[in-house]
Amino acid sequence: MRFKKNWILLFAFAFMLSTVLAGCGGKNADSGKTLIFGRGADSPKLDPAIVTDGESFRVTENIMETLVDYDKTTTNVKPGLAESWEKSKDGKTWTFHLRKGVKFHDGTQFNADAVVWNFERWMNRKDLPKKGDDFIYYGSMFGGFKGDKGHVIDSVKALDEYTVQFRLKKPQGPFLANLGMSPFAIASPKAVEKDPAEFARHPVGTGPFKFESWKKGDSISVVKNENYWQKGLPKLDKIIFKSIPDNSARLTALQSGDIDLMDGLNPDDAKTVEQNDQLQLFKRPPMNVGYLAFNMEKKPFDNKKVRLAINHAVNKEGLIKSFYADLAEPAKNPMPPSIWGYNDKVKEYDYDLTKAKQLLKEAGYEKGFKVEFWAMPEPRPYMPDGKKIAEYIQADLKKIGIDAKIVSPEWQTYLEKTQKGEHEMALLGWTGDNGDPDNFLYVLLDKDNTRIPAQNVAFYKSDKLHDVLIKAQQETDKKKRTELYEKAQEIIHEDAPWVPMVYATPPLAAQSYVKGYVPHPKGTESLENVDIVK
Amino acid sequence: MSMNAPTMPTQEPMQPMSNSPMEEKESAWQDTWRALLRHRSAMIGGIIILFFIFIAVVAPLLLPFGYNQIDADSRLQAPSADHWFGTDDLGRDIFARVIYGARISLWVGFFAITGSIVAGSLLGLIAGFYGGWRDVIISRLFDILLAFPGILLAIAIVAMLGPGLENAMYAIAIINIPTFGRLMRSRVLAVKQEDFVMAALAIGMKNSRILLRHVLPNSWTPIMVQGTLGFATAVLEAAALGFIGLGAQPPEPEWGKMLSDSRSFIQSAPWTMIFPGLAIMFTVLGFNLLGDGLRDILDPRMKQ
Repeated sequence: MRFKKNWILLFAFAFMLSTVLAGCGGKNADSGKTLIFGRGADSPKLDPAIVTDGESFRVTENIMETLVDYDKTTTNVKPGLAESWEKSKDGKTWTFHLRKGVKFHDGTQFNADAVVWNFERWMNRKDLPKKGDDFIYYGSMFGGFKGDKGHVIDSVKALDEYTVQFRLKKPQGPFLANLGMSPFAIASPKAVEKDPAEFARHPVGTGPFKFESWKKGDSISVVKNENYWQKGLPKLDKIIFKSIPDNSARLTALQSGDIDLMDGLNPDDAKTVEQNDQLQLFKRPPMNVGYLAFNMEKKPFDNKKVRLAINHAVNKEGLIKSFYADLAEPAKNPMPPSIWGYNDKVKEYDYDLTKAKQLLKEAGYEKGFKVEFWAMPEPRPYMPDGKKIAEYIQADLKKIGIDAKIVSPEWQTYLEKTQKGEHEMALLGWTGDNGDPDNFLYVLLDKDNTRIPAQNVAFYKSDKLHDVLIKAQQETDKKKRTELYEKAQEIIHEDAPWVPMVYATPPLAAQSYVKGYVPHPKGTESLENVDIVK
Repeated sequence: MSMNAPTMPTQEPMQPMSNSPMEEKESAWQDTWRALLRHRSAMIGGIIILFFIFIAVVAPLLLPFGYNQIDADSRLQAPSADHWFGTDDLGRDIFARVIYGARISLWVGFFAITGSIVAGSLLGLIAGFYGGWRDVIISRLFDILLAFPGILLAIAIVAMLGPGLENAMYAIAIINIPTFGRLMRSRVLAVKQEDFVMAALAIGMKNSRILLRHVLPNSWTPIMVQGTLGFATAVLEAAALGFIGLGAQPPEPEWGKMLSDSRSFIQSAPWTMIFPGLAIMFTVLGFNLLGDGLRDILDPRMKQ
């Protein structure tokens, strides 16, 4: 009997010891404030200059910074790594005065030479991490690369240690806003020169957080930069970006406390989050558009009446009620009203099946036709459930005689094939990156962007629109640009290459102890002001 | 179970040689039928299946809602007097969809299994009766098909043919061929040794006539049992293909697809998945019960 008692005592002791030790562990983790950010997918690459996707920028924005920055909730430009700047009268010369005393994470000095080195890297396409990579976004925002006819930047020079001068071949309206985009963040020249491939796995910048580790397909950790130039920031000691692909699984992880903040909440679950005291709901200000693009190079979508008929057959209000839990507005233009230059005078094509039928009849398709209708397989911020949305539209199309077959290949294939124009009509969407109308209208609908791989998946080629958009690009007076973009939206509305469907407000959720998080309209943000207060 | 069932085709194959073969056959049928009526679980299975067939055929005529009647205002409603099974995320009536789903599932199951029975039995007959190189080729073909996990092979076939209900049906038919083929082959090998086949050969009857008149009628019972059980598997396989998006395409109300569509509402609207799930369960249960019962009744060894 005594033997037995001893055993019980031993077990009790071991149990107590383990509880105490475990408790200690928990405390340590708390005092080192760690935030776990749940998101839908891992970052493809961590060199922001060679990617265009949000999941990459979401991480690199915390590690690397740009010359100019955007305000917290708008895309108004404010100082970033450059404290101030001037523009010459003709709009062709820009001079930036850089912040002093900023250091890269590897200890090298941030200065004018580093800025010049970065821009020359992009325009000369050197130090690419691997074959097949390219500085895609640089090419599409600055009219190509050095030697190209449309290339905007003539030269970048260091006037002194902290002054950089850009000379442009022609004025570019969105130039300043472009410089704030995540792909144009300044990298440590030393780190890139040493090994560009390694840099794409281990970025080095001047940002509030330093890269720590990357478990491919699972998580990326960044830790506090103790020498950050903004005193007192960042507030967190560590951020872990964890990928959980399924939206409902991610919410379950949040509810059980495995993660602290999550992106990509199902709009239907917004209510659940609001009713939960432990959680808080965030709404990202809308700067996106979800649309249905017709491939105008294929029959019957070369016929404007057919395109108009389908415009009249899409019940946007019903869609918003069904899939967005009212967290969206019906769209009528290819860019959202949160962007300046939005033309509110454009009159929406109303949901009217009789009219749609009439238009089909006029177009010579009284008996309707068969069509492949592409829908994205994964939830996107502008379209929480592409396949279901397609199913909803399919029912209305059936009523006007159009027999739509829903096709939904895997996401990467979906993008590649629509960019090649293999679709007949396809659902897609776009989140703006710099708040300029050019970033929507030119990128998505200009004839320049119909070369394969095309961003303009409607393959809409209008010379009239092209003239207006190029003029607006070279104009630097905002008032004149506004007029030109309003004109552009009228032209697009008239030709109807799309059904503009919604401007969505993507919801996010967090634990109630997460403070200071402000979602930015461009879809990702730096988290230096976020704190955990328990 | 019947105590003194006198004649079964498998048991006393020489019997039909008597002067009134029709009568004998009928009595065998009647006998089986009577045994079936007395077999409780088979009866329950049969009733479930008849019920599903009945609603699939008749009920769409009586429904107030179409299966694809979208109504954004009444989405995700809990079961009520208007919507017996509630509504899904597009505001469609789940009761209507489950009932139309019965049409799809039974249709797929029936044609897929009929297809594999016809193809499988034919190949099995040839392999078993002729033997030799024909047997080698056909049996190895079955081995190859059986080497793959069934659903994986089905996915591969659908991936080749393109997603869709009809292609899913072909895939299910193909993956079930070896089951019936091997069964038929083994029966034929046994029946081939029977005296009446020998006798037929001896009097110079044509091979095709022996196959159709003597071998086939004496080998079909296990196929029928397997067919009933296979029906259940086929319904499940169709649902599985629908679930991963390779079977029925929207807006077809296939049960498996309904299940996968409702995954995001498990917490907020469980009825969107409970009812299609129950429908699959009961159909499969029905066919399994009937199949088991049939096996009990038709297997001569179980009878003694």
